[in-house]
Amino acid sequence: MPALLVEVGVEDLPAREAAEIAQSFKENMLSALKEARLPYREVHLFWTLRRFSLLVEDLAEQQEETIEEIRGPAVSVGLDPQGNLTPAAHGFLRRYGASAEDLVRRVVGEKEYLFLRLKRPGRPTEEILKELIPQAVRLIPCSKYMRWNGGMPFLRPIRWVVALFGEKVVPLELAGVSAGRRSFGHRFLGHPLTFSRPEEYVAKLKEAHVIVDPKERAETLRRAIRAVEEEYQAKAALSEDLWAMILGQTEWPNPVVGRIPQEFLALPEPVVVAALREEGKFVPFTRGGRIAEIFLGFAEGKGNPEIIRQGYERVVGIRLGDAMDFFAQDRRRMLESRVPELKGIVYEARLGTVWDRVQRIRTICGVLARELSLPSELLDRAALLGKADLLTVMVREFPELEGVMGGIYARLDGERAEVAEAIAEHVRPRGKGEELPETPLGIALSLADKLDGVIGPICVGELPTGSHDPYGVRRRGTAAIRIILEKGLRLDLFRVIEEVRREYPGAEPAETVKEFLWNRLRAALEERGISYDIAEAVLSQMDGDFLGVWERAQALQTLVGRKDLVDLATAFSRVRNITRGHAIEGFDPDLFQEEAERKLWQAYLEAKKRVEEAMAEHCPAKALEALLSLKAPIDRYFDDVLVMCEDPKLRENRLGFLLALSRLFLQVADLSRLVVPG
Amino acid sequence: MKTFQDLILALHRFWRNQGCAIVEPYDIEKGAGTFNPATFFGVLGPRPWRVAYVEPSRRPADGRYGENPIRFGLHHQYQVILKPPPPDIQELYLRSLEALGINLRKHDVKFAHDDWESPTLGAWGGGWQIWLDGMEITQFTYFQQMGGVDLVPVSVELTYGLERIALFLQREDSAFQLRWTDWLTYGEIFRERERQFSIYHFEKVSVERARTLFDFHEAEARECLAQGLVYPAYDHTLRCSHLFNTLDARGALATAERESYIARVRALARACAETYLAEVVRAGTPG
Repeated sequence: MPALLVEVGVEDLPAREAAEIAQSFKENMLSALKEARLPYREVHLFWTLRRFSLLVEDLAEQQEETIEEIRGPAVSVGLDPQGNLTPAAHGFLRRYGASAEDLVRRVVGEKEYLFLRLKRPGRPTEEILKELIPQAVRLIPCSKYMRWNGGMPFLRPIRWVVALFGEKVVPLELAGVSAGRRSFGHRFLGHPLTFSRPEEYVAKLKEAHVIVDPKERAETLRRAIRAVEEEYQAKAALSEDLWAMILGQTEWPNPVVGRIPQEFLALPEPVVVAALREEGKFVPFTRGGRIAEIFLGFAEGKGNPEIIRQGYERVVGIRLGDAMDFFAQDRRRMLESRVPELKGIVYEARLGTVWDRVQRIRTICGVLARELSLPSELLDRAALLGKADLLTVMVREFPELEGVMGGIYARLDGERAEVAEAIAEHVRPRGKGEELPETPLGIALSLADKLDGVIGPICVGELPTGSHDPYGVRRRGTAAIRIILEKGLRLDLFRVIEEVRREYPGAEPAETVKEFLWNRLRAALEERGISYDIAEAVLSQMDGDFLGVWERAQALQTLVGRKDLVDLATAFSRVRNITRGHAIEGFDPDLFQEEAERKLWQAYLEAKKRVEEAMAEHCPAKALEALLSLKAPIDRYFDDVLVMCEDPKLRENRLGFLLALSRLFLQVADLSRLVVPG
Repeated sequence: MKTFQDLILALHRFWRNQGCAIVEPYDIEKGAGTFNPATFFGVLGPRPWRVAYVEPSRRPADGRYGENPIRFGLHHQYQVILKPPPPDIQELYLRSLEALGINLRKHDVKFAHDDWESPTLGAWGGGWQIWLDGMEITQFTYFQQMGGVDLVPVSVELTYGLERIALFLQREDSAFQLRWTDWLTYGEIFRERERQFSIYHFEKVSVERARTLFDFHEAEARECLAQGLVYPAYDHTLRCSHLFNTLDARGALATAERESYIARVRALARACAETYLAEVVRAGTPG
């Protein structure tokens, strides 16, 4: 079967977004092929900033045939007693232009009917591709759409389209461009090229100086980075964003190493790193924890490295020169003197200015200082100064230095080291999986910052729904939970939220915020490998001690697969089921009649003591061990005791006891939620 | 390309050959060539339009007392408008660099994503900064809106940073060393002026009088608009824009106030665009 090649040639895509555009194109194509019932063997996605393309191997030449069944008259109506077609059945056949061979009998419900089985032959692939391909491009979501007099909006103008199915061009039009077999190589080193077959794609582009396979390009970049690391005994300071940028910036990467002029190495290191990385221009390096004197850029094509190096060094010099100016300018004022000016920056119409935000963060910090036993004056100082660097030139020019710059300026202003560190760390984590704050004050300030970013929007009605989350509430919620779990913060988050709720405008109650965070906790547990049923078990009762929930989930997870846990879960399910709907917990041991009742009661008392001790020590594994000791007495209890007995007094007493037992379990986990094998 | 003026002449020649009308800078202070009426009004409405010109552009806040080799309160932009742009506009732009004697194969040329926006003009577009060996030398924009009006057709604006390109061509590190012509350097023409204007803008501007002037020109613009005099109204809008830039450089505007000044200029620009489209284009007498 033939292969399909689609290449969409575009004017340079934003380097950061090129990979996502290509990925969406692939997904759109594949789901459309599936929907069109066009099977294929394998697909390969290629892209650079100037093109994205899909090679589909062994694509069916025709849609799969389908069979449609249409219900006709009931057999009793359609056939006479001799089994011949009645006029009603003939009419049914006529309506669909079918003949008697296409009829089958099928039972539906009580009755048997005549059905028409119609084979629908598939349409030829080429015909389907004509619509399918342009639609797959049109449906690519872009961060921003622009027009270029080309008939459809897209991220960047579309300038050529290759669509080859086997050796034939698929005659289609996209954004006013007719598809053909003509493409273009590298902007300066390449030449126009034509493909006679899809399989030639990668090799021909390579001859035209385009490494179109992103995996191969990534390998080229990695090799070049490693070579520099070895030659200069330094380590590349890459970030996820920088990597995406350099991978997306060139079709034929050409590594060029330059040197940072000595005079600029006196700038704070984060400034040098930010200036080099700005807009994905250069890769900085470190040696022994200090910034190294070299940087690496990837030129497009095969230019003269010596000439390009001079250009790069000049640019770096200019930008670091600016940074020196910014630094000097910012240092003319104390950070603290900028704080009142935060009243001039609107944070959100309903939530006020950044100054208002700072006041709320200070309130949260007050509560956190108490909950976490931290020096409240220092924490408040850090919270007060935390956002002031937003008004510095350096942060305006290098937004990624937010926080970091505040820390540097605070230290130079003579603030305490803990305060300066907390300011620097409070913007962490900067993204998914990125570094967390380390110092106690930094951790608390960062948590307060994230909580404000969750509570504020939710209170004014901006609870994220689906993919709609304009205030990044989900991201902040996830970060807050990461900090609590990974930094081991023991606090009642729900109490914190209730206490600070009155600082916020809006009508949503604290309850909405709590539920939102509770759901984020569920996601966080699952992300950390906690299985679904265990998450359900530990999340059965709302609890503001998120760390405790996480510890209970881990303790339970380590017991997975153990037979005694399965047995205990089964035993507990009986307790849980029988007490469902019962509300009165009290019981009188004197009313116990059976030996098994007294045995379970004693086991309960013993376990209760152990569970409470273990929970007070935050050692849920011990608590689980204590609960495991209840398995045998529970089983015996249900063997020997008839809970739902005739005597209402005895019945209530038994239920009341079992409910108390159930409550004991629920402090640790609702084991009845566990999925029991078999 | 030995001198600054040769650079200008080479661009004039190149774009004249592409059918551009070579027009002159506009005689009111402005922050960028985009503010020149040949661009602001030229890109509105359906009429095809191709112009090119040099625009001395004033950004008071960028002044560095003539002490920074590449930052100035006044720099020179070379501005090209192509409406509608030809489909090979990127190639055409690259050919203009070759026309300056730059061998692109020897260098690193990148079209780096940079969507342009002017909050005071109510304008934005998608496009790039062009990096030549890492240095931004041109802003390349497909205009989507001007004065808050969606543009049909879309225009392309090319804005060359002449000082930067000249530094590159003359292999100098400081713009003040550039040769304007054989016997005159860029520094000899502009350095003292840079120093004086930096002193003026950062230290001396009377904030009170600048505010009064802003109010005055805003009122004049409104009055002109009420009379359907869109070109005089636009001149006053330009003066407002420059006065805002001046106040901003002087450090006279708190953040919220800054926003409100921007909004006032934008409102004027929008009214000019709408009046222009309604009165001038409809009457069939554009320009």
